Amino acid sequence: MSLLIGASTIGLILALLALGVYLSFRIFNFPDITVDGSLTFGAAVTAILLVRHVHPVLATLAGFGAGFVAGALTGILHTKFRIHGLLSGILVMTALYSVNLHVMGKSNLPLLNEKTLATAAEHLAVRLRGGEQDVGILGWSVGLRDLSMLLGAMGLVGAVGGILYAFFCTDLGTAMRATGDNPQMIRALGVSVDFVLILGLALSNGLVALAGSLLAQYQGFADVQMGIGMVVWGLASVIIGEALVGTQRFGFLITGAVMGSVLFRLLVAIALRWGLNPNDLKLITAVFVFVALVAPNLVRRLRTPVPKPNPA
Amino acid sequence: MLDLDQILKTFNPGTPNEVRALRGVSLRLERGLFVIIIGTNGSGKSTLLNAVAGTFLVDTGRIALAGQDITRWSEHQRARLVGRVFQNPFSGTAPTMSIAENLSMAALRGRPRGLGWALNARLKGEIRDRIRTLNMGLEDRVDNAIGSLSGGQRQALTLLMATWLKPELLLLDEHTAALDPKSADQVIRLTHEIIQKDRLTTLMVTHSMQQAVNLGDRIVMMHRGQVLHDLQGAERARVRPEDLLARFDQVRRREQLDPAVAELLQRSYV
Repeated sequence: MSLLIGASTIGLILALLALGVYLSFRIFNFPDITVDGSLTFGAAVTAILLVRHVHPVLATLAGFGAGFVAGALTGILHTKFRIHGLLSGILVMTALYSVNLHVMGKSNLPLLNEKTLATAAEHLAVRLRGGEQDVGILGWSVGLRDLSMLLGAMGLVGAVGGILYAFFCTDLGTAMRATGDNPQMIRALGVSVDFVLILGLALSNGLVALAGSLLAQYQGFADVQMGIGMVVWGLASVIIGEALVGTQRFGFLITGAVMGSVLFRLLVAIALRWGLNPNDLKLITAVFVFVALVAPNLVRRLRTPVPKPNPA
Repeated sequence: MLDLDQILKTFNPGTPNEVRALRGVSLRLERGLFVIIIGTNGSGKSTLLNAVAGTFLVDTGRIALAGQDITRWSEHQRARLVGRVFQNPFSGTAPTMSIAENLSMAALRGRPRGLGWALNARLKGEIRDRIRTLNMGLEDRVDNAIGSLSGGQRQALTLLMATWLKPELLLLDEHTAALDPKSADQVIRLTHEIIQKDRLTTLMVTHSMQQAVNLGDRIVMMHRGQVLHDLQGAERARVRPEDLLARFDQVRRREQLDPAVAELLQRSYV
């Protein structure tokens, strides 16, 4: 039970990553690799501020801001300097590796004795429960610490998802969706496609960095390696989410990305419990995304009847 | 109103693919004038429209619109003054978004976009009312994705979007060329109504001599990146489709003559 709760919590935290990837990859059709760097960037900035005893809420917001800046930089490289989108992301991601090491001062920064959002959630739960450490759910005994973090993550992701949905319904958000859909049209209606893309990538990486910031606080450390392969992870969540909701409406897709992230994390936890070698995890994730990207086309091709040659 | 002064544009200069698309085009439109541009393929008529819209910046020359020099303005800045309908019916609308969402974006053409709700009940009501005037039965489907509509319906909606806020200049780039004849008729009738009602200054490119003669106050014929004929006033009033075709024939004969003569000369003298 504690395994499932832990997996769900990480799944919810990484749902923010999935939302970021949804924004860049599905709204703009922009394969943004900055994600691998900005996730760590958010974690690093939050971690160093927590070590310096900055309030956890401020430290988390700073983590979001760090990712926002990184994403904006990728956008500027791509739009203003006309560098290929993929390469812009790679450049910023690579640069961020050094930046992250500088921010943290070393490759791993533990947070075990710091006040974080995670400890704050735990304290709140303990106070509400009057000092009890375990809670019974459906006959299972569940650690209060685990439960409080799950609920905390749920509330936070729900709020962020809601804000993102609301944003997509505003004038600016609608223009952003249209930019991905038909840039020529939105330019003819007076919107600077460059500006919207920069803003979109900034938001996307802000969300990713927020996921990194929360992940660091949840697991109690920030590590310079923690972002590696995260863009594929987010993509897998988005694709699972699309399969789950089966529509193109963005409200459903936002919910789908969150559900996809949690489901994916649960599947991984179960697979690991069954003896999957953790070293194979990224390989399997990559293969999964490959199959998910190719399968729809393959199915379509198989369904289309091959025209028979005329018997001459 | 619109003032084009000696517009020059060369694509891929200095390469084997060099194209001198516009070679010194000057054109002056008074407010409320409906001008039709015709010309052979590659004559530069669409390029001229794109130059005015700001798809690219011109090499030399000056473009002024509504008293402002817009020569160096970017495309999205010019959108404040210019409404556009493209030849491709897919170009003017965002396919996965609803009819209402598309029109809500057009209602802010060239204006700053903030964090206000894109769609409210009042705007949605207004959208329904204006769509009803199209007589296409789309007013009950405003929440459907635009991608599910036919080319004619999408082009009619694009026209509505381009003119939702009255533009200083309306650009129509062969906007019926990709439609079936019935839809094309419908869109042309609609175009005529909207331009008449709002007295819009319009530049329209067309391939159809019939459209050129039926619509518009003035006909500009382009050839090889230059204005060849400019029919106005009494001359414009007398013109028939056959006259226009005859002028095209004239051009074609002159074109055919040149290479033939060149070949003849080469054979005799080299």
